[in-house]
Amino acid sequence: MSQRPKLAFYWAASCGGCEITIVELGMRLVEVSEKVDIVFWPCAMDFKYDDVRAMQDKEIDVCFFNGGIRNDENEHIAALLRRKSKILVAFGACAHMGGIPSLANQYDKESMLYRVFDEIPSNDDSRGTRPQPTTHMKEGDIEIPILYDRVKTLAQTVEVDYSMPGCPPVADQVWNVFQALLAGNIPGKGSKIGVDPKSNCDACARQKGKSSQRISEFKRPHEVQLDQETCFLTQGVVCYGAATQAGCGLPCVKANFPCRGCYGPPDGVTDQGAKLISEIGALIDTSKPEELNKIMEGFVDPVGTAYRFGLADSILNELKYK
Amino acid sequence: MSHSTTVTFADKVRAIPGGEHLEMCYSCGTCVSKCMIQQKVEPDYNPRRLIRRVLLDQVEDAFTDPTTWMCSACDLCFPACPQKIHISGVIGAVKQLAVAEGYKSPLETVKVDDKLCSGCGVCVMVCPYEAPHLVEKKVNGQMDRVSLVDKNRCMRCGTCVAACPLGAISRKGVANPDIVKQIKIKTDRTTSPKLLIFICDWSLRVDDDLRILESYPSNIRVIHIPCSGRIDPQMAMLALRSGIDGVLVCGCAPGECHFKRGTNVGSCKISLLGQMFDQMDPERGGRVRFIQIGTQDRGRIRNEIDGMLESLELMKAR
Repeated sequence: MSQRPKLAFYWAASCGGCEITIVELGMRLVEVSEKVDIVFWPCAMDFKYDDVRAMQDKEIDVCFFNGGIRNDENEHIAALLRRKSKILVAFGACAHMGGIPSLANQYDKESMLYRVFDEIPSNDDSRGTRPQPTTHMKEGDIEIPILYDRVKTLAQTVEVDYSMPGCPPVADQVWNVFQALLAGNIPGKGSKIGVDPKSNCDACARQKGKSSQRISEFKRPHEVQLDQETCFLTQGVVCYGAATQAGCGLPCVKANFPCRGCYGPPDGVTDQGAKLISEIGALIDTSKPEELNKIMEGFVDPVGTAYRFGLADSILNELKYK
Repeated sequence: MSHSTTVTFADKVRAIPGGEHLEMCYSCGTCVSKCMIQQKVEPDYNPRRLIRRVLLDQVEDAFTDPTTWMCSACDLCFPACPQKIHISGVIGAVKQLAVAEGYKSPLETVKVDDKLCSGCGVCVMVCPYEAPHLVEKKVNGQMDRVSLVDKNRCMRCGTCVAACPLGAISRKGVANPDIVKQIKIKTDRTTSPKLLIFICDWSLRVDDDLRILESYPSNIRVIHIPCSGRIDPQMAMLALRSGIDGVLVCGCAPGECHFKRGTNVGSCKISLLGQMFDQMDPERGGRVRFIQIGTQDRGRIRNEIDGMLESLELMKAR
């Protein structure tokens, strides 16, 4: 019998990017697989839910769970993996904070389905089709998971030991975390793992803003030729770096694209979106107060911008659904 | 007969942009009647005295008098001055000379926690007084880029405290934990809507307004902030989460802000926050509001509160 640690990976409501980041480990993944047993990984290996059900409780040493909780299957498997795992990691922005799919929490389920099945221009279906949980076929009934009204984070569903932010978490951080866990270097429960201290600006080499250099017109990244050397905020472009936990190594910023905030709120921030507007609101400036509203119109889609990766985990979400 | 070549204190002040209108003052005192420092902090405050000291070459007195350092350049006095003297410019010139001579502002300023600061430069950009700047400094044994606040420029409005994404800047009495503590005080059990009011300490009508606020029962709670630029939308969120039904932020009319741009900052933040509530939960919009109370707005706060309580009542009934 092997005494190697057992790892599991799962994807719930997610895009698959978190799986790619594991594969991005490349040869390092081979190295990992020599030291551990991967016992469950639906994206890459042929295990079934029944294999997990057959395990002893706490048999899995670490489960990396990506994706939010969007339907009853997600929730069911989350509870199952919680029971079977010693350590459950909310892996990636969706499990950690709801991610992009939780932007749909702005709308109720029916208006979301209406949008997807009836309204979008590419859909030519006048029959009012809606997904049905059960469909009768002549071979028998087939079932699909029941869609929930809103997306929940993993921690809003089951007890989570650690959160590992990122959309997706970058491969180097995944590697760091694997090595730390394999070395038995277990952080305190509830910690964020695979992150660096402070915010992204700490690591950003761009020329920072000068005194009284403020925003009198917002520009979206596609509307402007972005300078590679200076802070995006000084160019009127909303960059999330200052209100985002460091740890990604700035791949977006280095590709001359502003930070989108996927690593979530840094320590000390309770609501990432509210903090972003506290920062951005203070930067808006004009000598004519009557122009403020016009400038703010340039801050397009405030909820989508301020909570791009974390609406499910926000106070804004909590206030709507309490 | 030889010409004197001595450079007087007045010459030095005049040489600095802003200080050139020194002699035009005929001491009418209109500026004093407009001055918020005189009304709220220091009854003895009098810009005319400083001008006189400059003209009489009383350098030491001018530099050491604490009142020299108090002017926040709100410029309420400027439109009133019959001689069109930019008094804050004159005071600024005196301060500049004092700093060059090694004198320091006696005012308490905001503080930066180097261990938390990420050197993002947001405070540098938002400060109305160009007080913070970024420096390379040894923090925890390593060189790091952090913000350093110039004690002689900071007027402690708190705009940077609210804008700092990492909570690395604090101002005594209104650091984030201080405000959270005030939000968390339990209110009496009451069925009427609970309203939290953030009120600017420098608002021209604040004393009248506070008297009006006293007449309301305990479902209205007031938190004092040094400027509406200090408002952090997170605090409004936390208040709503703790069971408060609405948040009203009272700033000053544009042009009457004690800290130049604070009221614009507060207005932008609360407006963006309101847009987010409307977008997320349109049926319960209007839970946060920002009002700008000016000189002409005697008693307006009562109408604003009553109006807001009424709409919160309707929202609760739905």
